[in-house]
Amino acid sequence: MGDTTALLGTVFLETIGFWWVIIPTIFLGLIVGGIPGFSAANTIIILMPLTLAMDLQMGLVFMVSLYCAARMGAGIPAILVNIPGTAGAAATPLDGYPMTKQGRGQQALAISFVASSLGGLLTTIIALAAMPLLARVGFYMHSVEMIVIMLFGISLIASIAAQDMLKGLIAGFFGLMLGAIGTDVVYATPRGTMGFLELYDGIPLIPALVGLFAVSEAFIIIEKRVILTKQGQEAMENPSWAATFEGVRDALTRWVHICWTSIIGLIIGVIPGAGASIASFVAYQQSRTFSKTPEKYGTGHIEGLIAPESANNGVTSGTLVPLLVLGIPGGATAAIMLVVMQYHGVSFGPSLFQQDPKVGYGMFMAMAVSYFLMILTIIPLSRYMSRVTTVPTIYLAPMIISFTLVGAFVPREYMFDMYLALAFGVIGYIARRTGYHVAAILIGVILGPLLETYFLRALKKSEGDIMVLFSSTLGNILWVALVVSLVLPIVFDRRRKKKELVQP
Amino acid sequence: MADDPNRAPKHLGADLVIPTLAVIFTLYYFSTIWNSPWTAQVSAFAIGGVLLFICVLFFFKVAGQYKRGEGRFTFTSLINFEDIRTGRVALLFTTVGFCWLIDDLGFTLTTFLFLWLSMAILGSFKRLGIVTITSAIMALGGWAVFILAFDTRFPRGWFEETMKAVMANG
Repeated sequence: MGDTTALLGTVFLETIGFWWVIIPTIFLGLIVGGIPGFSAANTIIILMPLTLAMDLQMGLVFMVSLYCAARMGAGIPAILVNIPGTAGAAATPLDGYPMTKQGRGQQALAISFVASSLGGLLTTIIALAAMPLLARVGFYMHSVEMIVIMLFGISLIASIAAQDMLKGLIAGFFGLMLGAIGTDVVYATPRGTMGFLELYDGIPLIPALVGLFAVSEAFIIIEKRVILTKQGQEAMENPSWAATFEGVRDALTRWVHICWTSIIGLIIGVIPGAGASIASFVAYQQSRTFSKTPEKYGTGHIEGLIAPESANNGVTSGTLVPLLVLGIPGGATAAIMLVVMQYHGVSFGPSLFQQDPKVGYGMFMAMAVSYFLMILTIIPLSRYMSRVTTVPTIYLAPMIISFTLVGAFVPREYMFDMYLALAFGVIGYIARRTGYHVAAILIGVILGPLLETYFLRALKKSEGDIMVLFSSTLGNILWVALVVSLVLPIVFDRRRKKKELVQP
Repeated sequence: MADDPNRAPKHLGADLVIPTLAVIFTLYYFSTIWNSPWTAQVSAFAIGGVLLFICVLFFFKVAGQYKRGEGRFTFTSLINFEDIRTGRVALLFTTVGFCWLIDDLGFTLTTFLFLWLSMAILGSFKRLGIVTITSAIMALGGWAVFILAFDTRFPRGWFEETMKAVMANG
């Protein structure tokens, strides 16, 4: 115990000594995270020669801080202009963007930064303390359990549909159908590809994200001179530090909410293959389920912003657990980290903490230090970042279209993906103008293929027996939890209405 | 309900676009998996079946609204004269042009042309100086960050190749 504490102290001091690497990397991460199509994963790939040239510890600090900052950066355009930088931030604009339109963009950014940093910091500490236990989570999560986890996220469609049940369900199921485009995972039979080879791998997420959110939003915002409401414009006329402090206070007073939603992110992050997008949708849905004011979600509710932001940052530390303890990367960025670290001669797995404890603990320490430095460096910037919302839409809309469409091209480098983003933009525009929720379509596109994959795996293992879905104890517990989380809002809602009738 | 003078009639035609697209796509999707192994069919038939059922319910709902005089089969909420006046339709054409030209002209030049033309149209061809400077800064900034600094594989064209040659030769 004493040895470990001394080692952690040494690693902490060494890591903080790299502040001059971490701070510029944080800003780089914020930029790449904020542009759809760029992510920590492909930035590390682009900068691979630089990473390989660094010594082991510096390379590790660089990659981890870039990873954390990119995750946080994805929320900035989601809040300010309704464009999530990555799929992991797709639930952020649900409440972040309405806050911006009300002129509370500065507060929203501060809330997002505090929730992300504290969520990331807390889950890093938990991951460090409970690593052996968390590493076993992946072993217990089989196809059946993953199906239920996916359904937690997909059930958010039902919450969105509450405003107009039929339209919400049509949007969600249309998204699920679009998500089913591509070859099936067992026999590779092409389905619904319209003859395009580029769709054989399924609908690429970035073009879908860019089209549904960015392009359609750009076509909508040109109706007004600026994206802010009249009340929002008045609020933005005299920007002050007070708004930032208000946001920080709003987030800190909801520290319990930050804690439990970030732990959802940590647990989902630990499961190999599950990612930030699932975590943020599940956390948002759970936050709404247990809220005393679920009707405020989607209107600029603070807890609706905290939940996805702390959850998707909780995922960052979660993905490192199976990487370090089992040698299994929990996501794309973790996989690239694995390659870089193997180049430096570090082998991951159970022996890592005996042979190279400095590397194992160093990755978590780099994460903790990055989150700590992010609190200090980014929160003051929210005042200036929120000024983006005052840029006239005649300039903003073309910039959004050009840079996000090129962002759609980047991950696969197919021109086809730009046209695909444009097609999704048209669908998104029609959906917005006619009252269909684009977030419901996106949930379907993101989670649909994953659900199908796990569903087919489960059926394949059980030789087609559908009862396999209720064959495991953990799975059954999750099923009960899912049913409870779907029924509870209805019960709460009835109780609230009864109370309102008694006390008019 | 229809007699309420304060309530604007719904544009039911526009409301039907997404469900109609959903039905057409689902039927097309079914046609592509009709002779496939069950693994390729199972989730699509389950999800698609529910989608078709919900769409049918929606069509009935809309028919009911039309019958009660609550709406008209118009598309005005989707496209109207305002879309031409505000430059939205023109922006759609410039966006298609952007996608079409970027492979030949390269990122920088196409982005500059797209930004300039779109901003000029949306701004009714006023303040062209600011529009030109903004477009140039954004296009050159994008080139400097994404192509020069990060060496991403953004589409390259005449400008990028010229700058590469200039830099290679000092």
